[in-house]
Amino acid sequence: MSAPLICMKGIGKNYPLVSSGANRLRTVASLLLGNANIPHYTALQGVNLELARGESLGLIGENGAGKSTLLKIIAGVVKPSGGSLEVNGSIGALLELGSGFHPEYTGRENIFLAAALMGLSKSAITEKLSSIIEFADIGDHIDQPIKHYSSGMVVRLGFAVATAMRPDILITDEVLAVGDESFQKKCIRWIEDYLAGGGTLLLCSHSMFHIQTLCQKALWIHEGRPRMLGNSFEVTREYLTYHEEKNSQAVRGEHVTHSAGVYQIRSLRLEDDAGSTAALASMGGALRICGVVHSPDGRPPVILFGIVRADGTPVYGTHSNETDYHPNLIAPFLFGFCARLSNIQLLPGKYTVRAHALDPEGLRLFDTVETSVRITGQTRDYGLCRLEHEWLPGKEEFNTMWEA
Amino acid sequence: MTNLWHYRSLALNFFQREISGRYVGSVSGIFWILIHPLALLGIYSVVFTTIFRVSLPELGAGGFVVFVALALWPWLAFQEGVLRGALAVQSNAGLVKKVAFPNELLVHGAVCATYAVHGVGFLAALGMIALAGNALHFEALPLVAVLLLIQLFFTLGFALVISALQVLLKDVEHFLTPFMMIWFYATPVLYSVTMLPERMRQFIFLNPLAYSLGRIRDLLLHGGGLILSDGAALLGALLVFVLGRWFFNRLAPHFEDFL
Repeated sequence: MSAPLICMKGIGKNYPLVSSGANRLRTVASLLLGNANIPHYTALQGVNLELARGESLGLIGENGAGKSTLLKIIAGVVKPSGGSLEVNGSIGALLELGSGFHPEYTGRENIFLAAALMGLSKSAITEKLSSIIEFADIGDHIDQPIKHYSSGMVVRLGFAVATAMRPDILITDEVLAVGDESFQKKCIRWIEDYLAGGGTLLLCSHSMFHIQTLCQKALWIHEGRPRMLGNSFEVTREYLTYHEEKNSQAVRGEHVTHSAGVYQIRSLRLEDDAGSTAALASMGGALRICGVVHSPDGRPPVILFGIVRADGTPVYGTHSNETDYHPNLIAPFLFGFCARLSNIQLLPGKYTVRAHALDPEGLRLFDTVETSVRITGQTRDYGLCRLEHEWLPGKEEFNTMWEA
Repeated sequence: MTNLWHYRSLALNFFQREISGRYVGSVSGIFWILIHPLALLGIYSVVFTTIFRVSLPELGAGGFVVFVALALWPWLAFQEGVLRGALAVQSNAGLVKKVAFPNELLVHGAVCATYAVHGVGFLAALGMIALAGNALHFEALPLVAVLLLIQLFFTLGFALVISALQVLLKDVEHFLTPFMMIWFYATPVLYSVTMLPERMRQFIFLNPLAYSLGRIRDLLLHGGGLILSDGAALLGALLVFVLGRWFFNRLAPHFEDFL
């Protein structure tokens, strides 16, 4: 096993807070003397990461979480304030739109500049020039100054230079999003090929699709600290759930009422088929929603359960008298109920399970109790749940049908 | 140093960019290399020979204009080199913040380009002086180049310090213009060392520019070879260069925090 490509331990970054002139002078002095006693704010802290050759990592997080700072640290543009960083390979970084380009230069001249910034000799660049221009595919604009370029064209050029370098580590910071659909596809094809050839990608993106497609691992940075590191599917799900919950907090008002003397759910829990409490259920697996309900008059109440996604979107709901189910008496004035969901087709993520007690006529709703469950699994499907489907061959008639 | 060699094509790129960016884009282009110093020379000549009527035996056959011209171009190379080098990092903030490369190359590019431009101008000026019928010791030109190289090392070291401070302190550039003006008058460009009162003369060699400009003028007017003190000057200039690089590279990792 060779040494990891990137190894970082306890990496953090503080930015100095300087305002007055005297402060600045003091800062310069302490930087020169190498003592770290400067007023600062912390942009990033405690990042531990190890990345082997051929592994690819996606960085996700809210705006200002510290993703770009981390990428800049790895790229060597920013010096970390603490921790140790070891990089054993060449780095190609597309940190921002048009980084390393000079606006007054033509595209062609900028290729030379950008390649020189990556440490390539003139002859090596000349060798690759035609393939770069071909990849960028921006036609005659290559001899125009890039200040006249559209942002998409700048990205094309930047990416084309990076592709020609074939660095051990390719760092891209949300630049793919600017390119048009066909260029994005071209880039993704190239990256997939690059990954297959043993390249390592560090991608910072708000597109969970890109992260899931291109990265095996993902790191979620939250307010300057790593919050979750792991399989890219799991981390992106977790991250999306966080956002769904965050949005729903603003939208949804809680309506949990509890009053004695009414039909009331006393307890609610989720179990697996073996009967033990379950907070997790795998997609395609089974889950039991069980509970105890109180009835003030001894008649069995009607139970209603529903499943909502973490952001409050309702997925499904049903009540017990739909199937003529009656909770059975398990103690005086207490009834037990259990609903088994088999072959759960909810997409992975966090869901809330709600149960309500209704009067025996099923007319009045008295109570809401909720608990949450996490559905696990790997899928690239979209939406709330999987609908059963199958793919069929196309028929010749389709053509004539559409013409008509 | 090995790292810098690895980036030689980038250094060349910065060097070319400094030259082309400054002269190729402008309308009168390359002529500015000569026009600016010539205009200065014209002003000094009017002020000092027509108004103040300076006349000294040690000025040599060409008189005051030739005397000043021989030191003016090397001085301008130094002055402009420092001013341009000082702003080199800050004006390339976009690059420094987003790409990892040895930042000092920006300063080297700016300073070396200035020396190259004024070196060419100096040669042209020397040619004109000779055509005007003044005897110059052209055989001393290689030695003049050596002295300019010594001065270049000093300029690089100085500019590296100033440019790093400019990034962190921002207001260095406001001090720099008056500072360079004072330095100009403290350097024997418009006068010779012998014109100074005895008390001041012993201090003039604290000014490295006084040494290199004086030597260049002396070599071109009177010929001669390298002397021992040139070696000391080279060592001193290299020391300034090394210290300047240390200072710059010590602060360079923090540039991104301040730009």
